[in-house]
Order: sequence, then structure tokens, then C-alpha cells
Amino acid sequence: MSQRLPAPLGDVIDRSSAISFTWNGTKLQGFEGDTIASALLANGEHILGRSMKYHRPRSVLTADFWDPNTTVQVDDEPNVRASHRKLADGMAVSAQNVWPSLKFDVKAANGLVGRFLTAGFYYKTFMKPAKLWPAYEHVLAKFAPGGAVDLNTPHGRYDKRYAHPDVVVAGGGPSGMAAALAAAAAGSSVILVEHEHQLGGYLLWGSDDDRTAATGLAAACAAAGVEILTNSTVAGRYEDNWISISQRSHPGVIERLIKARAKTLVVAAGTIERPYVFQGNDLPGVMTSGAAQRLIRMYGVKPGTRAVVFTANESGDSAVEALQSAGISIARVVDARSGEGITSASGSKSRVKRVTLSDGTTVECDLLVTAVGWTTPTSLLNMAGDRPVYDADAARFFPAGPPDNVLATGGMVGDGSRDELIAHGQATGELAAGRAAVVRQRIQAATARAAAVDGPELDYPADERTPLDRVRHPELYRSTTHGIVDYSEDVSSKDLFSAAGEGFDSVELIKRFTTATMGPSQGKLETVNTVAVLAEARNETIAEVGTTVWRPPYAPISLGALAGRINEPTRISVLQPWHEANGATPILAGQWVRPEHYGDPAAEVRNTRTNVGVIDVTPLGKLDLQGPDVPKLLSLLYTNKWMALPIGGVRYGLMCAEDGVVLDDGVTARLGEEHYLMTTTSSGAAKIWNWIEMWLQTEHPDWQVHVTPVTTGLTSINIAGPNSRELLGRLTDDIDLDPDAFPYMNVRRGAIAGVENCIAWRIGFTGELSYEIHVPSGHAVHVWEQLLEQGADLGVKAFGLEAQRIMRLEKGHFIVGQDTDGLSKAPVTGLNPLLKLDKDDWAGMPEVAWTMESGDHPVIVACQPDNGSVIPEEAAQILRAGTTEIVGRITSSRMSPTLNRSICLAQVTKEFADPGTSLEVLLISGERITATVQEHHAHFDPEGARLRG
Amino acid sequence: MVEITQLDSMPKASVRAADGTAAAAALGLDFGSSEQRDDTLVVRIRPDEWYLLGDGAPAMAAGLDLSGFASTVDTSHSRTAVRITGDRAADTLAKLGSADFSDHMTPNGASMGIGIAGVTCDIVRDDQHGVRSYLLLLDGSFVTYFLGVLHDAASEF
Repeated sequence: MSQRLPAPLGDVIDRSSAISFTWNGTKLQGFEGDTIASALLANGEHILGRSMKYHRPRSVLTADFWDPNTTVQVDDEPNVRASHRKLADGMAVSAQNVWPSLKFDVKAANGLVGRFLTAGFYYKTFMKPAKLWPAYEHVLAKFAPGGAVDLNTPHGRYDKRYAHPDVVVAGGGPSGMAAALAAAAAGSSVILVEHEHQLGGYLLWGSDDDRTAATGLAAACAAAGVEILTNSTVAGRYEDNWISISQRSHPGVIERLIKARAKTLVVAAGTIERPYVFQGNDLPGVMTSGAAQRLIRMYGVKPGTRAVVFTANESGDSAVEALQSAGISIARVVDARSGEGITSASGSKSRVKRVTLSDGTTVECDLLVTAVGWTTPTSLLNMAGDRPVYDADAARFFPAGPPDNVLATGGMVGDGSRDELIAHGQATGELAAGRAAVVRQRIQAATARAAAVDGPELDYPADERTPLDRVRHPELYRSTTHGIVDYSEDVSSKDLFSAAGEGFDSVELIKRFTTATMGPSQGKLETVNTVAVLAEARNETIAEVGTTVWRPPYAPISLGALAGRINEPTRISVLQPWHEANGATPILAGQWVRPEHYGDPAAEVRNTRTNVGVIDVTPLGKLDLQGPDVPKLLSLLYTNKWMALPIGGVRYGLMCAEDGVVLDDGVTARLGEEHYLMTTTSSGAAKIWNWIEMWLQTEHPDWQVHVTPVTTGLTSINIAGPNSRELLGRLTDDIDLDPDAFPYMNVRRGAIAGVENCIAWRIGFTGELSYEIHVPSGHAVHVWEQLLEQGADLGVKAFGLEAQRIMRLEKGHFIVGQDTDGLSKAPVTGLNPLLKLDKDDWAGMPEVAWTMESGDHPVIVACQPDNGSVIPEEAAQILRAGTTEIVGRITSSRMSPTLNRSICLAQVTKEFADPGTSLEVLLISGERITATVQEHHAHFDPEGARLRG
Repeated sequence: MVEITQLDSMPKASVRAADGTAAAAALGLDFGSSEQRDDTLVVRIRPDEWYLLGDGAPAMAAGLDLSGFASTVDTSHSRTAVRITGDRAADTLAKLGSADFSDHMTPNGASMGIGIAGVTCDIVRDDQHGVRSYLLLLDGSFVTYFLGVLHDAASEF
């Protein structure tokens, strides 16, 4: 580690803990606490990357989170910020976006034609001819920046958390820490967020007293119960202080997104040192004064041997002291406050070698440190609606006035000594706590479950803080030469002048045209310089040009963090373990994991048609309805009549949305005088519950109806097939199964297999004689097993979802959402006798009436391919013969094991709906086949003799 | 430390009763609160809905005067109860749901409806011997998924 400085320099590294890593395959060592960049510099590795467009050698510029020049690949992770990411043992670090190597990068040839690669080059050059775009794309992809993504990388663990703190403080410098401490002392719950690895801000690379103060404040915050999140970023502020925090420091996860609802947000983001624009400003060895101090004082790294310091402020002066303490020779201090300046830097490809001053003097050096002023990172305040105002005397923007629940403190709002900044932070923290207490009291009082509010109503505290002063600072943005403005995007001041000359002369336009400020730094280093250069080009002031609007995120967040843990709810019936133990292939149907089949769905169909089958239909939605006004509700929701359903009766119903489109269907039984049980489609259960509550709570709050979902509480088993009556009869003495006593479309209650309170419906979806029994779920496995045991000699077998789908298609039953779609109004179903237009009203009735009157709607028909061995794909188009005019589509299709031929349901225009009509069906293969419309929807037993047997 | 327990056999009943009915008067409580009465935890989960939880629930439900607009449904087989207990129980839930579980917003005895990991839940804060504890009621079909998610969230504690 040839450039490592001796202790006591290097506060944050632990020299007793060495770390091994590789850099482009070469084994190196660093220390615990090093960043990747500091370890590389300590090892004498000076070039850490290449620029995006011109592939110019780049090295450390800011030595912090925002450094645009030190993006590297670490193992299989691209785009790692080397000036921020801590070194870890065994890391394989490599340069990215270079070929064949960092030192000799062929893509640097772009620099030779740089004069042609001006802003907008990409847009202008590759637009025409359009047919060549695929070729352009192929070549351009080779030049795309960024590291390598390994698609085989295992998914990392990301996490999410909600929080409801009284106060969130963004920024852990002296003001932020003081604010957090004061708020906590006033009784607030506080989250303090710092995007670097330690609290302290600029104090960390300041004097001994500064560092002592930082340590003391950090310890006090911890002792006061402040939740401290380092290596974390407040990424966004949204309505009502919804704060997103990206936490990169939580153990066991790569990144965690915290969604915090803060009662008060304190923004203490400090200031960010601005680079200076001049010829050669991106040469390795040119860095900000903060970078030089951080490298020396925090990491014990020597950034050069002979330095020129261009300073306009105390930070530059402090950098001179730091350089001297590191034994670096000071070749020249160029003081802007005395009217001095620099115009250019030059050197080899790998290092600055000399600096030319404004007076023409040339000074030899290998390090140029600039201290030309500050940018106020007002992003979070922008997100709260604030628009910053430029102060030419202080040469930076300041907040204009954020809303009451957002407070700014520290360097963002003024200048001052360490103690003055702490005092301002403290006052801000007290104010934040006072305002949070008021908000908290109001929320608590308005929330039923909350604890009772103690004490009198609090008054909202006024802002009586003593403002910080603003120190005069020379306006230093660009020298007399052109240089890089956006290091991430390789945009120069010359590019900006050129873009302005082409008419892209508003700050929002120039940003999008040149991509300046749109890189990983998100404008923190570039925005104000861009504005300043544009102001120069337009011959206006910076205040007149204004700024772009900073939007979330404050700093980039990984997509993994935004996704968090992937929690996708799934549901199972209590019988699912039995299904899986008995060879069922599971299928995810909506949220439900169900048995698709037990090996051979066609055999399951044949057995059910011949003997008897049982299927678990628990996902069928079930709603318990009680109250005197249930008939009114049913009449409103269903298209048919419900006022006279007898106890024990069951009726099928179709529901429409208000636009007449089919919403759901199902059967409802009357169990008692004021007690009904409604079934819905499996996927429609939650939707229909919501639909019912909407009507009851908004349109008919006077109706007395109680709705309770009981889908899971009642395990539903359909017993279907010629032997179903015999089978069920073996399990119940309670229920008279005689066809006269228990006819089709009726319901009975009783004990089944010894289980009380079962409900038996004589209904079916398969077209067979069938009973659907609803069993209290705690006893369902017993009943299921009893059915299989008692029915062994009857040939009972379980069948799955696929067999059920086949049988329902044989029977011609449509499925809402498959055979209908979001445009299918009720008349499409062909169930016109159920559309009772003589009722007073029902949901969707006017639209349905208009549709029926116009007659202009498609209809569902059954059709059979003329070649019964061909199964048209579901959604295959139906065309007017010999043309490409679409007249319908296949909505369901299967091979029927019962009929031994393919069968379909389809939606066609009325012209093609008559029985016997020949349809031309376009298969995915491009082949056209013919199919014939059938007389009935049911392909099998259209009279329903088996069903009613 | 967080302990997660599925309470398979807990009897549960839902009571719906309009203001002014005998059942509403008998059950009482403010909306969003709960109270242990002998071996039944009575929860007023919504303005017109109570849960009766525990061994005494069936008898209490059966004993209610349901005159007027009132009804009961046995939800023992529909709803599953999961108890999460421990000092970090609230932190576990805060990874899965957006409610404020702090003492002043959700004190012992408070109840609310909320989505936890995408599942609609009713939650009762029901501390056990002075240790923070939450009773979560959810549709039983979700419980395999739900327990997996809860254990995953609690694994860091």
C-alpha cells in the first residue's frame, strides 16, 4: 500500500484488520473501513474507470457517495460506487465498460471523433433510415455503458418495513444530529438517516475538535434512543410526509426500503461541493477539496505528491492544511478571493501534470484541488413543493419556504461555525418535535383504536428560529475554457453551448437533449453548473434561468429494494394435502392451489360419466346472507327474479356490472326464513362481496342484510355421476335423497358422515346427477375419505379441475371471464329468459335493455370442428370465409372423451350464430379449418336427462 | 424474540348487530377495542360487528338476544387465528403491514382490520402476561402461506 499514510491519519480504517481483494485480477490488500476506491488509491492504482462516451481515464473526484468517476464491477454486481462501497474480504473488483483493459481501452477511439459526438448526435444520426435501426441498435449496444449482468446470479434478499416516526431527519451532519437529539429529548420518536457510513458529515474530515464533536453527538443520539440509519438515503418525500428510505446497512439483506409516515421531516442534507468547469477538469489527479481531505484524514491515503490548490473558501484552506499534514508539497495556492484563477489543466492520459493559471503561469503538479463553492441539495424540499431561490452573493441556491411539516436546517439554509450549525439544528429539532406532537395528537384523537389523548389540545408552534447567516462567496462555475460539466454522462460545457445554440435553451430542454444531470449522481454535482453554463450561453443570470425540478429518488435505489420481499398470497383448501399425497398435479387458479388432475383427466371424465367422481370445489365463493331484505338485494344484483324463492329452493343467477357487462354468476339457496347462502365463481368471491357491500353501504344503507364470507369455512365437494345418489345415501340418514323429496335445484341441511351442519345442494356443473355438499372445514378430510371409502365398490374416484372443465364444456356451461370478457353484456350469454326487464331495476338493466333492443351484440354458441380430431386454440379467430374479417373467436376448446371429438364454445356475431352455420377458424399455424354451429350450448345430453335423473 | 402460534381449535363467532339491538347492548365496547370476559375475548372489530373468540364463544353467541337486526355466524372453520408474541412482535408486523403498532396508536386491547402481506386480517392486541402479543384472524385458506411469511419476517428477530 504505497500511498498509505501513517497513523493518526486515517480515522475510519482499522490497520489491524487487513482485507484481501483483487483489482482486475491482481491481488491487493486494504483495511477494514476502507472504501474500494480508498484501498485502490492506497495501492497506487490511480485510474479507476473510464468515462461513458469518450472512455477518458477517470479517477476519484469527490471520494464520497456522489463520485461519478469510480463506478466498478464487484463480483457479479455491476455499477458499484467504489468511493462509497466498503471493502470486503475476497471482493473481485474490476473496471467496467472497458475493452480489452482499463489501461488500454479500444473504445477510447471515440475521443478521436469526439467533435462529431456532440449532444444530440445519437438522436440525429440514427433516426434514418428507420429500417437500419436494428443494425444501429446491434452496434450501439456494444458501446452501452455499465457493467456486466449475470442472469444466473441468485436472487438476493431484499426487505421492506413500515415506520411511523414522529420525526425523520435526513442528514447526519452536525445540524442533523443536533436536530435528532433535540427532537428525541422533547419526547419524539426519531429516525436519523445518513447516506454515508458514519454520522458526522463534514466534521469527519475536519479538525480534532470537529471529530470529537461528531463522536459526541453521535453517541448522544444513540443514547437518546434515536434510530440511526447509516449508509441509508432518504430517497423521496411524498404527500403528507410519506418518506421513502433506502437502507443499505440492514444485516442480512442487500437493501431495505422503509416506508415511513413522518409527522415532521427535517432536511439537513448539508451542501455538496461543486466541481469547477475548465479544460482538463476530468484528468486523474483533479479533485475537490473535500475529496482530498476525506482521503487523507478518514482513509489515510495520499492523493498526490505535489499539489496546486484553487480555493475560494475555508474548505480549500483546510485542504491545504490536510495536504501539508500528509507531506504533500504545495506547489501553489491559487486564491479566487484575491482574483486569481485557473484556466486549464493538462498532462498525460493517466494524470494531471501541470496547471495553467489565469495570468498564463504554468505550475507543475500531480494533484489539483479545487474549492469553488457549494450546491444546496434541495431535492427533498423540491419534492415537498419548495422552489429554491438563487442568492448571487452566496453563490448558491437556498430554499424558498417548504410546507410547515418540512423543516430545513444546517448548510442548506445558511453558513456558520460548528456551534452555530448545531444550535440551529437543535432549534429545528425542538420545533420539529413540537409540530409532530400536534400532528400526533390529532391523529390519535381521530383514530378509534388509539389510546385516549391526555392533556389539553396542543397549539401548532410558530417558527421562531434565529436564521443562519449567509457568507459571501465568489461565483465560480466555469473558467474561460470548456470542460466537463456532467462526468457521468460525458457532457461538456461546449455541448451545452451548442445545445443552447440549437434552441434547446430552457433548462428542462437542455437537460433532456444533452442528458446533463441525468446520470447516477442525479444532478447533485452537475445541475448548478449546467444552469450556470446555460445562463452564460443565454447571457442571463442564474436566477433567470432557474433550476430543473428534482424528483424522487434522491439517489438511485435498486429494483430489488423497490420490490422488497415477494409475498404473493396463495390459498389452499383443507383437502389440498390429501390431493398432493394422492398424486394430484397442482395448478394455480387465481390465488388457489388446486388439483389439476390425478394423472389422466380423460379417464377422470369417463369414470365420472360412468360411475361417480368427487371433486374439491372449495374455492367456489360462498357468502352467508341474513336479514329480511336479502330478497331485495338478490333482485337488485341478479338479472332474474328472487322475491319468491322457497325455503330449500336454489336458483341460478347472472350478475351484471352497471354497464351491463357480465360480472359473475352462481347459485343461491334459501336456507331459512331470512337466511340465504350465495355462491359465486371462484375468482369472483372477493369481488362480489365487495360489490354487495358497496350496494348496501352506499345505495341501500336502510336494507337489513348481513353478509359474511364463508368460502373457507365450508369445504365444498361435488359428487357427480350416475352413482352419486347411491354414494351420498350411504353417508347420510338425515337427508332424504329421493328425487321427489330432493329434486334438482334444491338444498337440504343435515349430517353427512356423522358431521352435523352440512349443506347438500342438488346442482351440478358437469351435466351429471350430482350433489354439492358443503362441510364444516374442520371435518372435511373425514367426509372426503368416507366418500372414497364408502364408494369404492361404486367406482368412485377423485377428479381434478381439468376433468371438470371438460365436462362443463361438454355440457355447454360458459365460464365468466373465459367465455365472456370485459365487453360481454348479458345478452351475449344467450340467457335472455333470465334477463327480466319487467323488474323495477337491477344492476346493469338499462344497458342490457338497450343492448337487447339494438340486437347488436355477439353471442356465445357451441360449435364443433368438422374434423373432430382438430382442437382449435382458445382465442383462435373466427373469420368471414375467405377474408380476414374477424367475426368471432373460440373461447373454450377441448377434446371430449365422452364424444371422442373436439368441442368448443365461441363468441360470434349474430350473423354467424344460427345452428348449422359454417365457421372458418384461423389456427395459430395459419391453417384455416371449418366448424359448425350446434343447436344447443350443450354438446352432451342437451335435454338434461342425466342431470335431473 | 418472537413466538408465532397457530390456534387451530379456537372457537370463533361473528356477531352482526345494529345500534339499539339487545345484542349490541349486551356486547357493548367502543369500536376498535376488545375485552376479555371469562373465557371469551369480545372484540368490536367494526361499528356493527363483534368477534367472540375462545372457548366460551359458542355459548355466548347462542345466548345473545338476536331480536331486531342481529345475526351470528360460526366462523370457527372459516377464520384461522394466529398469535404472535414477543418484544419484537410489532416490528415483525411492521415488515408486512402499514399500520402504526406503537403503544399510543394500538394499545393493548385495540383492534383493527388491515392487510398483512397481502392478506386481509383482523388484528387484536392482546398482550399475554405483560408481553406484547397480537391475535391475527384471517381466512383459513391463507394460513400455510401466511405462517411462512410471518416466520420469514420474524427470522431477523
